[in-house]
Amino acid sequence: MKVTCKIWRQESADSKGNFKSYETDGLTEDMSFLEALDHLNEILVLKNERVVAFEYDCREGICGQCGVFINGRAHGPHDHVTTCQLHMRSFKDGDTIVIEPWRANAFPILKDLMVDRSAFDRIIEQGGFITAKTGTAPEANAILISKEVSDKSMDAAACIGCGACVATCKNASAALFTSAKINHLNSLPQGRPEAHKRVLEMTQQMQLEGFGSCTYTGACEVECPAEISISNIAEMNARYLKAKLLS
Amino acid sequence: MSMFFRKSVVATTGLFLCIFLIVHLSANSLLLLPESIARSLYNSYSTTLRESTLINVVGYILYLSIILHVVYAAIITYKNRKTRSVSYAVNHKSENSSWASQNMGFLGVLVLVFIVVHMANFWARIKLGIGESVGLDTDGYVDVYQVTYDLFHNVYYVLFYSILMIPLGFHLFHGLKSAFKSLGFYHKKGLRILAKISLVYAAVMAIGFGIIPLIVYFK
Repeated sequence: MKVTCKIWRQESADSKGNFKSYETDGLTEDMSFLEALDHLNEILVLKNERVVAFEYDCREGICGQCGVFINGRAHGPHDHVTTCQLHMRSFKDGDTIVIEPWRANAFPILKDLMVDRSAFDRIIEQGGFITAKTGTAPEANAILISKEVSDKSMDAAACIGCGACVATCKNASAALFTSAKINHLNSLPQGRPEAHKRVLEMTQQMQLEGFGSCTYTGACEVECPAEISISNIAEMNARYLKAKLLS
Repeated sequence: MSMFFRKSVVATTGLFLCIFLIVHLSANSLLLLPESIARSLYNSYSTTLRESTLINVVGYILYLSIILHVVYAAIITYKNRKTRSVSYAVNHKSENSSWASQNMGFLGVLVLVFIVVHMANFWARIKLGIGESVGLDTDGYVDVYQVTYDLFHNVYYVLFYSILMIPLGFHLFHGLKSAFKSLGFYHKKGLRILAKISLVYAAVMAIGFGIIPLIVYFK
């Protein structure tokens, strides 16, 4: 299989980037998209050229490191998958594949396809945790939680922080990510003590980082590998308004 | 000022305008009746509105809503545009979101152009007395029916009034369901029902307002 990869190349955060095309031969349909990039990099190494920088870790769709914009879609042409779970069988022999980094001012490009997503970390630092005593693990049945509540919380907790929601959003809004992190904890009894503080401070950080506001295009929930529902954003709005009124 | 405040203002004013449109369309459907009945009903109705203190107060809330909706939507759009300095070389938005949702600003501008022309045609003439004076009908009411009738016998205005109801429909479809989300309505099944209600509401408004000028034209 042979494809042309049109890839965004950028030396460093400060330098100006541009697209470069690479004819890539010797690919197979079974290769994952990242393996295809590995293959391209091997070719570049042999030619003594600088390899394409891209991020990855687990390669099994759970770590959220491998986000890139492929042919006009976050994580490629399919809904709800990470880049590592995309395979070359989704492309045809002779295709041109345009590969870009996430584009958002809050996610500055570090090199080629790598962006700095530490804005997400700073949002988490503002309350994406609970106050817990150190020491031995508490008795599991000490706090009873209904199945519905635990399922709902777990659905929100499934967010892997890949940044596809920001990347695909026309406003580069981090509302889906932030709402998932807030609702995960605020819907559980363990998250109640800091519930109001959490929603106010995490959303404030979200705004300080320069993410846009949500206009409900719904693109984020389509691209989200963890299938986080956009109803989380509406729930975050409800929690925000409630916290604002009560505190 | 937080983005939540701005979004809440746009949502609240938007919902108020949605309710107003229902009242407005109901009144406009009087125009579909035969002329002999329609003229007196329409003129007496519009006179009652103009003379009611309550309606005048609601009128000022309406003007304020339109202004706040436009101003805050413009601020939100401006701020949102600044979040991505370099746009994607290839972006297939249509594969993950509706066209209306991606173009609310553009649709809103079209609706605003419509409102300005519409208010110049009716509000400025009847309420402010700018331009050609409006006569009285046989019952002594200001003949708003005649103003409408004359306007909708100008083919350019008929096309303007009818065609611009298409962007209005798209704007309402995305706007109505989104306003509820902005104000914190997050029940999943409820949101699915709301999406259907928004579609029906938008279709009724666009077709209803859009068809009246055509019917009056061919009357």
